[in-house]
Amino acid sequence: MNPRLSGGSAWLLYPLTAVTMIFVLAPLFVIVAMSISENPFAAFPPRGFTLAWYGRVLADADFRASLGFSALLAACATTGALLFGLPASFALARGEIVGRDALRLILLSPLIFPVLVIGVALLRLFSDWNSNSAPLNLLIGHILVTTPYVVRTVTASLLLADVSLEEAARTLGAGRWRVLRRVTLPQIAPGVAAGALFAFMVSFDNYPISMWLADAQNVPMPMLIYRQVASIFTPAVPATSTLMILFAFAVVLLMERLAGLRRAMAM
Amino acid sequence: MTATIAQSNLPRVNAFRLVRKPSTATLTGLGLALPAVCFLVVFLMLPAVRLIESGFLTQDARGVLKGPVTLSNYLHFFDTSLYSHVLVVTLRISLMTAGLAAVLGYPVALVMVRSHPVITRVVTFITIAPLIVSVVVRSYGWQLILGNGPAGLLNWLLLSAGVIQTPLRLLYSETAVVIGSLHVFLPMMVLPLASALGKIEPHLEEAARTLGMPAWRVFHRITLPLSLPGLAVGFTLVFSLTAGSFVTPAMLGGTNAQMLGNLIDQQITAIYDWPFGATIATVLVAIVIGVNLISMRLLDGRRREAP
Repeated sequence: MNPRLSGGSAWLLYPLTAVTMIFVLAPLFVIVAMSISENPFAAFPPRGFTLAWYGRVLADADFRASLGFSALLAACATTGALLFGLPASFALARGEIVGRDALRLILLSPLIFPVLVIGVALLRLFSDWNSNSAPLNLLIGHILVTTPYVVRTVTASLLLADVSLEEAARTLGAGRWRVLRRVTLPQIAPGVAAGALFAFMVSFDNYPISMWLADAQNVPMPMLIYRQVASIFTPAVPATSTLMILFAFAVVLLMERLAGLRRAMAM
Repeated sequence: MTATIAQSNLPRVNAFRLVRKPSTATLTGLGLALPAVCFLVVFLMLPAVRLIESGFLTQDARGVLKGPVTLSNYLHFFDTSLYSHVLVVTLRISLMTAGLAAVLGYPVALVMVRSHPVITRVVTFITIAPLIVSVVVRSYGWQLILGNGPAGLLNWLLLSAGVIQTPLRLLYSETAVVIGSLHVFLPMMVLPLASALGKIEPHLEEAARTLGMPAWRVFHRITLPLSLPGLAVGFTLVFSLTAGSFVTPAMLGGTNAQMLGNLIDQQITAIYDWPFGATIATVLVAIVIGVNLISMRLLDGRRREAP
């Protein structure tokens, strides 16, 4: 148990932290405040109260198409990341292999490369291959950037799981497959689920991969908002953005419930 | 987020051995990791090598890359002040952001690990939740706050309070990009710091306090040195992520605070100069890998010194 802050340090640190928390929340609050203002221009002070912008956003065909596409892309990317990441995490955490550090470096390498550069490199590759299907190209790019998050969370969960339980089960005659299914997986399930949710949001929020690989028919949500912000003819941007914020906060609450936020992110 | 953080968080666990025969275990381990490794080799390593390679080539009128191998793109980049200026701006914004993140991050991380559990949960939630909100949305929020006209939140507040008479020009500047990047990447500083601070043996600080050391000296002589690994990880993360960003400088910096990412986009999508775009991308990758290597060396050195 860590000591609690007290005396002078408490007087200094709590107010500083409070100010930083206000800094962190300010831009989100501002967007929410603007989304219910009657003023068609995002200008201060907000005037009146209306939910009309939400009605417009939800009825908008572009918004619906982008939301649906982003959700589908993120779901497929997370599935792909789990298919690649789960077994690789077992190798990393439990396998008796040479070059564990090298393997870890390879598996986490998409986190070191600037995401934007990964996007450019993929664009080059796909144009060399004449691979013109934007959804497929986007899926590959998104699996690439989400897999390391799954690897990190699952590996951390495996290291936290109690190995003596697995050994006991084996001693009592359970086969390796049965130990995995009945002892290991139930222990790591919450961590895996929280990590998968985080990976889902990493894909859902991604801009710097999508900006290279998307086409006119397949526009992920962040790209739609980016375009709407640049154009003055779309007054509903605050409402669209608020919906994104609410969705993100709902997912964060779920992650916290499942495994705790710091465990979900393995940080 | 990078190898450094991975190393700091995932200790080696050779003690956890499930399978007895090393030979089959080795094969199983490799087999399990094989699909992921193949995927990364085909879609990350090879394309990255090809991209770096094309920075050393030239392109003909039809856009076909050809030899001979040349350094002309690099000379062009470093010799043209327009481009080298963008490099300087990128480094300056990234350094400022990482430095400010450390200053803001320490109090938050200390509160996160040393408070009532309820406060810890609330601070952790507020720190992490915005991370899950798209960078586009968050930068838009800063556009509304920093807006240059009288209708930007900050200008409106200052004008109404009578502090200023004419609206300030806040948006589309390096300052705006630093503020936006700080907001986006602050959690990447707070979380490694909190994890390093959480590992400090509480008796050390207690003993120093009992012996009459004032609180600020306890922080300076004990807390700060012992949390340096977390600071190194956080600094590396924030620096690398800021250096590689695109959305924040595009939305908050405009043409006044372009970064390398914006230059890459411009060269490839507007000018179609692949070799030059690849050159800038390579410079960016070199900066990021360089910073990560330095930080890894520092962390390894410390680990070896420890008894």
